[in-house]
Amino acid sequence: MRRLIAQLAHDWELLLGVVLFGLIVLLAVFGGWLWREDPLRVDILNSLLPPDLAHPMGTDDVGRDVLARFIRGAQVSMGVAISVTIAGTLIGGTLGLLAGLIGGWFDVVVSRIMDAILAFPPLILAMAVAIGLGQGIVSAGIGVILAAIPWYFRLLRSEVLRLRTLMYVESAQALGASSFRLIRLHILPQTTSTIFIQASSVFGFSILTLAALGFVGLGIQPPTPEWGTMITEGLAYALTGQWWLGFFPGLGIFILAVSANLIADRLRDIYDPKSGARLSI
Amino acid sequence: MIDFLLARIGSAIVTIFGASVLAFAVLRAVPTNPARLIAGPFANDEVIAQVTANLGLDKSLPVQYLDYVTSFFIGDWGFSYSAGQPVLSQITERLPASAELALYAFLFAFFGAVLVTVLVSFLNSRWLDRFLRLLSFISVGVPPFWLALLFLMVFFERLGWFPGPVGRGPAPTGLYTGLFTIDYLLAGDFAGFGTALHHLALPSIALALGPFGYLVRLLRANLLDIINEPFVTVLHAKGVAPISTHFRHILPNAFLPTLTAGGLILAQLLGGSVLVERIFVWPGIGTLVIDGILRQDYAVVQAFIMLSAIIYIGVNLLVDILYGYVDPRVRRS
Repeated sequence: MRRLIAQLAHDWELLLGVVLFGLIVLLAVFGGWLWREDPLRVDILNSLLPPDLAHPMGTDDVGRDVLARFIRGAQVSMGVAISVTIAGTLIGGTLGLLAGLIGGWFDVVVSRIMDAILAFPPLILAMAVAIGLGQGIVSAGIGVILAAIPWYFRLLRSEVLRLRTLMYVESAQALGASSFRLIRLHILPQTTSTIFIQASSVFGFSILTLAALGFVGLGIQPPTPEWGTMITEGLAYALTGQWWLGFFPGLGIFILAVSANLIADRLRDIYDPKSGARLSI
Repeated sequence: MIDFLLARIGSAIVTIFGASVLAFAVLRAVPTNPARLIAGPFANDEVIAQVTANLGLDKSLPVQYLDYVTSFFIGDWGFSYSAGQPVLSQITERLPASAELALYAFLFAFFGAVLVTVLVSFLNSRWLDRFLRLLSFISVGVPPFWLALLFLMVFFERLGWFPGPVGRGPAPTGLYTGLFTIDYLLAGDFAGFGTALHHLALPSIALALGPFGYLVRLLRANLLDIINEPFVTVLHAKGVAPISTHFRHILPNAFLPTLTAGGLILAQLLGGSVLVERIFVWPGIGTLVIDGILRQDYAVVQAFIMLSAIIYIGVNLLVDILYGYVDPRVRRS
């Protein structure tokens, strides 16, 4: 942690990532408290107003304040993306650890399942799951989790296989340490930076994919504001001059995704200069 | 080599099997009874039971799975009741539009990334390199459908440089390949070719930017790895011209991962550019799929999901085989 803070001072890319990310987090946490407009309040008389002091991001087609909706959308997107990232880490990571440790048929079966998941382009898979489980934010989230699991699985499985051959792990095993003890004391601590790096790029991936699902109508259902859905709503007005409807939510997605990727990439360089596996849409 | 081929093909078949089970499992979870959707809201239980039986939904799950897989492979992809057309003909009709868009997006992404990255690494300028890194982050992080929207707002609405969301533009008279640019060229109609290209420009660039950034990052990292290898120092010390070192020794050694990734990106793009197509009202598979989702007409979506997995696995296999062909080490392992 200390190393990270020291790093921040002379690494402008990491700094940029952290500042941008922090900005959106602050907005999500304190925004609703600072900007007391109701994101759901319809006000037809003031619809489609361009950005001004009363409505810094303008109003939408039924007169709802876009800034208030942007803030609520930030809460929704961040909340879901964080849960998705944590769930993906836990499930994919655990499976990877077990596959690496147990090996044998378990490894073969789980690896095959992961291959099958990887056979689908991530967005398409998330779409399939979101359709299969019924429209809504939970199914969309589960879809993204499923798409993210194989990346953790592969990463942790190969980490465990690598670490297992190291002398100190073999010694611990020879001394009679149980599998659980091996994982907890000797393997897991070595993989935390890898997991964290992977988690930040999965976070960026989730933000983009959730927005894409919302955009095609598979995410959270209206009237709850979500950035992807807001862009869809702005679509009809984009070419008649009301640019602010679709512009701001997209900007939010963009900033979050770029900053998460920047942080992930810098961390990877700092902790682990040689490594691959990245997600892309 | 034969062993290698057989092993790769075998594992691709296993993966297709796994993917089909997964697609079946995921889509069978559909909570709305498709029979009720087809029969309409006023149908009585008898009619619904009839439709359920017609669709084979009353059989056991393994039998349903077998039906699903066999009908997919014999080309019976179901019937889209909202379009009143078999899914197979719907998809084949729209395939050329998506394929053309995917192809151009791929060309922009792949050749753009290779050209820029190789040039920047050759010029060895710190500022250019930083700029390129930032550009790659921006292009990976920007949501493609939002970028498409921005493009339309700026280059169509404000500046009027490019056509708006009207799809592919006028169709050529003789359709040979279904790819408008190629068909115009075959007909010798260069003005038509220009129009088709004009319509392709914005959507394909919007689509290309993400893969572009990804390829730039990949190639840049690989180039840096190779540049720091001892053999490069030796080449420099022996007085080999920098341009020859760079293009004949460094680039070939760093290029394979980019080639692999390029193949997979092409497969993903061919699998449909669902989001960007929607913005540009492109008459491709992506628009079809979104309409299917919105109308809860899932036959199209089911076929599309399986199809994109098969394309993905197929291209993956092809890339693997090529890889083994180019690099003997891969073949042996």
